[in-house]
Amino acid sequence: MSLPNPFDPDVKLHRGGCSCGHHRNQAEHDQAHAQDQRQQQDRLVEGAVMRALFPRDAERRRFLKTVGTGTALAAISSIFPLGLAKEVFAETNGPLEKTKLSVGFIPITCATPIIMAHPLGYYSKYGLDVEVVKTAGWAVVRDKSLAKEYDAAHMLSPMPLAITIGAGSNPIPWTMPAVENINGQAITLAMKHKDKRDPADWKGFKFAVPFDYSMHNYLLRYYLAEHGLDPDRDVQIRAVPPPEMVANLRADNIDGFLAPDPVNQRAVYDGVGFIHLLSKEIWDGHPCCAFAASREFVTGMPNTYQALLKAILDATAYARKAENRKEIAAAIAPANYLNQPVTVVEQVLTGTFADGLGNIVQDPERIDFDPFPYESFAIWILTQMKRWGQIDGDVDYAKVASEVFLATDAARLMKEVGMEVPTDPVMAFSVMGKPFDPSEPAAYIESFPIRRT
Amino acid sequence: MSQPFLKIEGLTKRFAGTGGSPDFTVFENIFFGIEKGEFACIVGHSGCGKTTILNVLAGLDEATEGGVVMGGREIAGPSLERGVVFQSHALLPWLSALGNVAFGVRSRWPRWSSKEIEAHSVRYLEMVGLGAALHKKPAELSGGMKQRVGIARAFAIEPKMLLLDEPFGALDALTRGTIQDELLSIVQATHQTVFMITHDVDEAILLADKVLLMSNGPYAKIAEIVEITMPRDRTRATVHHDPQYYRIRNHLVDFLVNRSKTYAGEQGDDPVHPPIVRPGLDGGARVVPLTKTPATSNQASPEPALRNASN
Amino acid sequence: MKPTSFWAAPILSLLFFAAFVGVWHFSTQQTLGEVTVDPEYAALIGAQAATGGQSAMPGPLDVGAKLWEHIRDPFYDRGTNDKGIGTQLIYSIGRVLIGFALAALVAIPLGFVIGMSPLIYKALDPFIQVLKPISPLAWMPLALYTIKDSNISAVFVIFICSLWPMLVNTAFGVASVRKDWLNVARTLEVSSLRTAFQVILPAAAPTIMTGMRISVGIAWLVIVAAEMLVGGTGIGYFVWNEWNNLSITNIITAILLIGLVGMMLDTLLAQLARAVTYKE
Repeated sequence: MSLPNPFDPDVKLHRGGCSCGHHRNQAEHDQAHAQDQRQQQDRLVEGAVMRALFPRDAERRRFLKTVGTGTALAAISSIFPLGLAKEVFAETNGPLEKTKLSVGFIPITCATPIIMAHPLGYYSKYGLDVEVVKTAGWAVVRDKSLAKEYDAAHMLSPMPLAITIGAGSNPIPWTMPAVENINGQAITLAMKHKDKRDPADWKGFKFAVPFDYSMHNYLLRYYLAEHGLDPDRDVQIRAVPPPEMVANLRADNIDGFLAPDPVNQRAVYDGVGFIHLLSKEIWDGHPCCAFAASREFVTGMPNTYQALLKAILDATAYARKAENRKEIAAAIAPANYLNQPVTVVEQVLTGTFADGLGNIVQDPERIDFDPFPYESFAIWILTQMKRWGQIDGDVDYAKVASEVFLATDAARLMKEVGMEVPTDPVMAFSVMGKPFDPSEPAAYIESFPIRRT
Repeated sequence: MSQPFLKIEGLTKRFAGTGGSPDFTVFENIFFGIEKGEFACIVGHSGCGKTTILNVLAGLDEATEGGVVMGGREIAGPSLERGVVFQSHALLPWLSALGNVAFGVRSRWPRWSSKEIEAHSVRYLEMVGLGAALHKKPAELSGGMKQRVGIARAFAIEPKMLLLDEPFGALDALTRGTIQDELLSIVQATHQTVFMITHDVDEAILLADKVLLMSNGPYAKIAEIVEITMPRDRTRATVHHDPQYYRIRNHLVDFLVNRSKTYAGEQGDDPVHPPIVRPGLDGGARVVPLTKTPATSNQASPEPALRNASN
Repeated sequence: MKPTSFWAAPILSLLFFAAFVGVWHFSTQQTLGEVTVDPEYAALIGAQAATGGQSAMPGPLDVGAKLWEHIRDPFYDRGTNDKGIGTQLIYSIGRVLIGFALAALVAIPLGFVIGMSPLIYKALDPFIQVLKPISPLAWMPLALYTIKDSNISAVFVIFICSLWPMLVNTAFGVASVRKDWLNVARTLEVSSLRTAFQVILPAAAPTIMTGMRISVGIAWLVIVAAEMLVGGTGIGYFVWNEWNNLSITNIITAILLIGLVGMMLDTLLAQLARAVTYKE
């Protein structure tokens, strides 16, 4: 549940991802709540007050267990004008500048939160009438976003950075208030290569990635380079729209791809390829797709922006829960969204999947959903853009990262919808065992023997 | 009658030479006149500029020098006062016979109602014997019928003068004869002033009051003006019984076959007053105009005399 | 020579069709072999993959069934991204007609001017010659960038590809109106406006209609590609969406319908062309 009752001692407010447990059917529960927005908002305020009074969950629980919920509410109300606080909150939240919105998405499982917010009613819960529009490719998403046909869109997380610094288009300040998903990509190879599992044997291969400015491109290049292959000289990498990847693989035009799901699973389903490696094995917890909007939208329509982001965050929280994944698969597989066989989407989301070589693999974290836009993600992406020559000249990594990845906003709103928020927007991590220090981006690039700088 | 109805004065057509080559003169110093109600044919070999002269009269072309005066006014551009029958009939193929005639009628009387226009057009089509083919498209008509529509279109606007550019050239002999008769009777009935180009000597003799003979180009000129001195009520069936007929015909053919080539420069005639001949009359070989200077008062004097002589 | 029966050609057509469908049927028919993997794994992958093969081309029966499914419910609406094939065709035809009509509004008057003025013809000819061979889809990024609306951009692409055949044909048709007809109008003192509408326009109409027919054909070819690029709605989007799903059955169904609509558009303009054609 997205808005846990703060007066319920069994609910952990400070650590998200827990259900209220009062309802068996989560969707029913959420929709019932969505009907009454005001009630939801009241809950938010109550939650905020409780958190303010009891910074630590353990204390609050002890307090509630001791005095009982009803007494607690009365007691708190006596010292803190909850009713007034609720009113104030409703006002500061302000009227929505625009309620009819258009949000573009690419039909891949990464788009799950953006899509799911629609059938789950999260958009309408925040008073928004959102049309989620399927789009043909990343360049089209970018162009339609730049053309303001979309108010916000599903993008690859490097795209807002590229747009902001003007790589591949004119520089326009863009923002990324939330990550859509983490992990959830894979390297798929054609069936004929099933015995060539060592990347060292891949010289001369032709690979496809969905877009030049994509995690897929950077992860594939990283992976190949770590295995001693120069991605620009020893193999060919080209941008191919995801729907055409399987067909190209089947037609023997490419040897493999690092692609978003369900493309990988679809290749297995159609018997044309096998999953060589999940992207989480390269970097566990890497961001992939993003919810992105122009800075103009964020600053010009702050209330709409916040409502939209909260809806996405709610959906992300919902998608994060393993028990919801089957239902999500059934909801997003039809033609209106992904247009894929349900089993394909289900295998991706549940992490119990056929690998194309006759094995059933179980990896519940094959794809996961975590909205927090760590600035260190942005810095890593920028280092890779620099490493592979996509940006010339000097980059103020930290500045661009903090301007585009709106960690502060995300943290505040995640808190409001009751999600767990990391304390530091800059997090160190490792990619293929090699640690990345976000404070030393230039040195990081220098540390790679294969690079274009 | 001091001035003819239509007066062509010093008409010259030259094309500028390209790339330093000298100018090309098709014809020069063309002078002649046509009286009201007169039927004039112009005969000459191809390339002498007959069609150009007709186009200048129609206002469709411009002469390099000289001008045309009709009814006391200089001709400038095309006008409804001069109806044209084109060599290629030039019917608008998407319109019916009636539509083609009405197209002109509407232009002539823009205030008329559609009914009036139709009634007027039908009358002229009936006049050329096409009362039964009013709604046929040109493609459904024979060559002769098409040309009849063209003639009806030209007559229907009731012009002051009719210009015919070899209208029967493309027709077979039988059809040509029939239409010649029709044209003759209409002209006789309406006293239409006509200027017509033809290659056909017999046609010229049958229809014309006078035949303008043109020498060959370049530098083509009006070599002679041949008066057809036979009575006006000719018909195709009887015209060759007239003793004048063969004398005139021989004269014309002789000109076309022999003299037209060598004419230029050989004669010392004044181009302003081309010699008028009446080969049809006994001993009426060649008549040199009395005055050579283009004085208006003198110019008029020989003509009434000649007319009298022909009757 | 014996006169052939009225029915000979249709019967032959049917035979060709039957032969084609037969060959298609037998060449795509696949007998599913033994399932070579364990049943639990087989449930996760496609039927063809489970027998060690790859998913195959659909046969005519699959396509027929799909076609019937679409024809039975052509206008369903299951959300923004999933509308019936009839709705999609209407979107596409609408875009084609709007772009085509706009092109006609520009091309025919402009073609008139070019056809009537050799000077303007010479002045504009280099531009036309350079712009004409550009693939209409090459305009798409530029259109998206400047117009900033994918729907209008698609219409613009239709506009630009419909423009040239109509422009060139109108100019040619107007320039080659028989001099005699113009002279007739001149000697009858017909006003320029009336000459344009009652002489030049009908005279050039067959040529103009030929241009329009070429244009609508190209426009219909281009709209599918344009919609595949920008997405949203239309038969091109439908093809792209089904391509995304690797549903060859749906794609073949759409191809059939695209062909039928294209033929209808062509027939419509052929009828119009016949109405304005004259025999000399």
